[in-house]
Amino acid sequence: MTAEALDRNNRASERKWRRRSLWSLLVLIPLALAVESYDSVKALLGNNDLFPRRVAWGESARFGGSDWKLTDLRGAFGMSNLPPDSVPVLADFQVKIGDPDLQKLWLGCKIVLVDKDGRRWSPTSIVSLKTPDNVGNCISAIFSGAKSGDTLDLRETFLVPKEATKSVRPSVSVASERPRFLLFQLEKD
Amino acid sequence: MMRKSANIVLLLLAVVFCYGLQISKPHYGDLIGPIPARGKLADTVVGRAFEVHAEKIEFARKLKVDQFGRQKVLTTGGVWAVVTVAFAARAESTVVSVASWRGPTGLTYDQTERLSFMNGLLPVAVDPGLPRKARLIFEVRPDQANNATLLISEKLVAALDSQAEISLGPVTITADGLPGGAVDTLDMAEPL
Repeated sequence: MTAEALDRNNRASERKWRRRSLWSLLVLIPLALAVESYDSVKALLGNNDLFPRRVAWGESARFGGSDWKLTDLRGAFGMSNLPPDSVPVLADFQVKIGDPDLQKLWLGCKIVLVDKDGRRWSPTSIVSLKTPDNVGNCISAIFSGAKSGDTLDLRETFLVPKEATKSVRPSVSVASERPRFLLFQLEKD
Repeated sequence: MMRKSANIVLLLLAVVFCYGLQISKPHYGDLIGPIPARGKLADTVVGRAFEVHAEKIEFARKLKVDQFGRQKVLTTGGVWAVVTVAFAARAESTVVSVASWRGPTGLTYDQTERLSFMNGLLPVAVDPGLPRKARLIFEVRPDQANNATLLISEKLVAALDSQAEISLGPVTITADGLPGGAVDTLDMAEPL
């Protein structure tokens, strides 16, 4: 083989590899982006309630290892000392404990009211209504030491504007299930 | 020779270009800092998670407060500045917890911590559709009262989140060194 032929051969293989490298960028760049953003995407999904699972009135749903059921949602009208045009709303749940490791499964438990425009109300500290001793809330339930098969009564109190009372629905989310969350429907839905 | 001087020219151009970028573009700290939502006194300033409306400013030499059932008068070497504001949450219940007072020369005062446990002080929890009033209380130097800016954010580290910046406008300083309209004692027990 002459030097010239060898040279030509080398050049051809060099060109071939350069082309292969360029094509591989098509795969490598998206792959690098995916690896870089993996943690951020995971945090985004783990911190937000994105995908609702609707639960019909009177039915219970398996969530965070337990069976959740909305038993009541009602306004407490006629209280004094409240901001104008606001109504306290009570949401009552009955939860049948399945997996008793609540400190892990119910971590970051959030019960909120969502209205038809997607506005969200967290439980309020402005109104404190007396609740029976056996009724807890989401956070106290985590530390209640409930065992598998127990039934817990939970109640959260909210303060919502009067115009929103018709369309609010309770939603439940826990860190172990996010980005999915439960959205309870009422009898009239 | 020609090539060498061309390289030097290119290097100089690069230096000038980089310097231009450095002085004309925002710094990294500004890029990831709070995002200002600007407004004036009596405007409603809309941020990402909350709205705020500054209603009035009052200046006083002393503050009268009720603490644990006892009345106390708080004096100051400067002047008390009390801003009455109304907050509203936008899409989600939130807590507004940080406010500071930035004077015309850039001196920045955090909220006073001398009035703990009083109703209407930050942090306040606000719910959508339910505006709530609050008082922001600062202890400032009288020369920092004129053309001050009120900075309000949800959290202390408001990186990449909105921060309300409300310009409070001119305040005349009277002969005794106090802002015009300053009262002797302001009663904090009065309802908002």
